[in-house]
Amino acid sequence: MLEARPSASRDIPGRKRHYETVYILRPDLPDDAAAAINAKIRKIIEENSGIILKLENWGKRRMAYEVKKQRKGTYLFWSYLGSAGLTEEIERNLKLADACIRFYTVKQAENVDPKSFEASFNDEIFSAAGTGGVEEPEPVVTHEERGDDYDSDVIMNDIPGADRGEDN
Amino acid sequence: MSFKKEQIPSLNDEEPVRGRGRGCRFCSDENIKIDYKDIALLRQFVTDRGKLIPRRMTNTCQTHQKALVTAINRARMIALMPFTVVVQ
Repeated sequence: MLEARPSASRDIPGRKRHYETVYILRPDLPDDAAAAINAKIRKIIEENSGIILKLENWGKRRMAYEVKKQRKGTYLFWSYLGSAGLTEEIERNLKLADACIRFYTVKQAENVDPKSFEASFNDEIFSAAGTGGVEEPEPVVTHEERGDDYDSDVIMNDIPGADRGEDN
Repeated sequence: MSFKKEQIPSLNDEEPVRGRGRGCRFCSDENIKIDYKDIALLRQFVTDRGKLIPRRMTNTCQTHQKALVTAINRARMIALMPFTVVVQ
């Protein structure tokens, strides 16, 4: 349990804040290590009277740029309700985890009524999210990839006025 | 070297997002939500090099351009979108 952190004066008792956290795990991570991190985050949220709304595994996807020498990463997306101090505890743990190469938390709303949310979270979703390492990579065409392929004829033909120099 | 007007690629034909005379996309269609996870949408508002397209080109209103910039910067933080793209 967290040490009681005073909530902000704008917080209404009984209401919660809506957060979203995305973290990227190393692509070569075994499944059980990924599941261990997920279990840790889940434990933190549940112990601090948070409500998990959504947990998604976006699979192993190519990142737009290198992060800690890695080109790919396993993305995990959490949507949850919590109170003051919860994200600090989550981010402290992610910072300590070597397998986590990047994390980012966004506060979507504050003073939301927990009853107005439908949680689509259960143990099945949780165990499925832990097996991200074997998921097929999603076809993500980043601009960087398009930049890499600039030499290929197909791409060059698609650029309007790419052969303009010949006429002049 | 003469300047041939017809060879200038029209932005209207290539990029449906751009073009004068159209209003803000997000004001005209309230179903479109600006979200930092919606990469397909955000990518229409950056150049091939990953730079932001000014709102005078896309006709986005100030409110929604601000939301777009926030979303794009968030997507950049989690490596969903590039900060810059180096073209060889």
